[in-house]
Amino acid sequence: MKSLDPRVSRLNIPDQPPQLESKVPLDQLGTFEVFLQLKEGKPYHHVGAVHAPNNEMAFVFAKEQFSRRLICSGLFVVETRNVKVTRFTEGEDTVYNYISETFNEEGESQVFEFFHLNRRGKQHEHIGSVEARNYDEALALAKPEFINEKPVFNVWVVKTSDILFNDDEDKIIWDTLPEKKFRDAIAYKAADKLKEFKEKQQEAL
Amino acid sequence: MIDEIALKELIYKMADDLLILGHRNSEWTGLGPLLEEDIAFSSMAQDKVGQSYALYQLLHDLGENDPDTVAFMRNAEQFHNCQFVELPIGEYDFSLVRHFLYDTADALRFEMLSNSAYEPLALLAKKIKGELRYHTMHADIWIKQLGAATEDSIGRLQESLIQAFPYALGIFEPSEYEDQIKADKIFEGEEILQERWMDKISAVIGSTALALPDLGTITPVYGGRKGDHTAHLQPLLDEMSEVFKIDPTADW
Repeated sequence: MKSLDPRVSRLNIPDQPPQLESKVPLDQLGTFEVFLQLKEGKPYHHVGAVHAPNNEMAFVFAKEQFSRRLICSGLFVVETRNVKVTRFTEGEDTVYNYISETFNEEGESQVFEFFHLNRRGKQHEHIGSVEARNYDEALALAKPEFINEKPVFNVWVVKTSDILFNDDEDKIIWDTLPEKKFRDAIAYKAADKLKEFKEKQQEAL
Repeated sequence: MIDEIALKELIYKMADDLLILGHRNSEWTGLGPLLEEDIAFSSMAQDKVGQSYALYQLLHDLGENDPDTVAFMRNAEQFHNCQFVELPIGEYDFSLVRHFLYDTADALRFEMLSNSAYEPLALLAKKIKGELRYHTMHADIWIKQLGAATEDSIGRLQESLIQAFPYALGIFEPSEYEDQIKADKIFEGEEILQERWMDKISAVIGSTALALPDLGTITPVYGGRKGDHTAHLQPLLDEMSEVFKIDPTADW
């Protein structure tokens, strides 16, 4: 009997594709930003993004995407377009220097979460939340609240209501079988092979 | 005094289910419908193989051969998995439906076993509770999503559900040791498990545009637990054990 593994049977892909075909339209899903908390009491930090049709599916993907090899205590996702981003600064310049202290008063009062970029090239980290009527007011209120001697290079602002957190009872999903050596690449003795290769090269010279 | 033959039969069928389904689901690695799902589905397939290893280890402690030998050196008729898990992966709708139907049953089975009188099994059930929670969470969300999305997705899932259902009922094929295993308080039995499973899957299916087939009209596909398998199992075993059979000491 022929193999059933599609990687072997190539899913019946024809050898000779037709010469001309209609271009397939893009079918990419939207993205969601993922934040992890490594330990109870530690701040959530941004770890990356996943593609998904909605935040529930984004959560399910994010769990395996970003926390399958580590224990963590919390995870949340927020649709990328719901993350509002300030300008970037450099050196000793903090982004709060550019935040206007005036704002309009439109909107219902709600909670906004703040994420700081404290080092260029690192990930944004949750710093706290502010109650305000809109993003501009939230930024203005955050300025005296979160400004300190260390410069902040970029700020993300997210409405708490746009975030999907894990349920407390689902935290056990990070409680997995510890014997997972077969998942790690530690058994690949790449260093030995490299050494062997270099030695051979030396000999050849 | 626990009846070891009955206990071993129970652990064998669970371990074989997980090994075979873990291998089958890994066939999607690199071919998943989107990268994130490819990673999630592959990771869960690895979980299943890991869980089967833990169960084979329990069997080893009961005097059976070591896990590698048990996993790689038996022929199809010596496997106790239900036929459901050996069926080809089909298209993604079938694999998702199988993942939903099987993993719901698996999570419930281990939940029941967390009170088992055979302590090593109860301990393992508690250890893998988190993995199983993620598996059912993943399955439920996919079924809810595609089971209420488009005509195409609903139609495909419905068709797979009808195709899969008689095989899914084969998960609960009663064992000849059913009374023994209940009397020893090792496991409450397949019948109770099936009832709980029906409740769980009915609740999820009820929140979608899908309909469960009528139980009364379906003949469950039994036989797998007694070594009676479809033609699909042996090629899978040959492929899985290829390296081991060439060189049992091979390592990577």
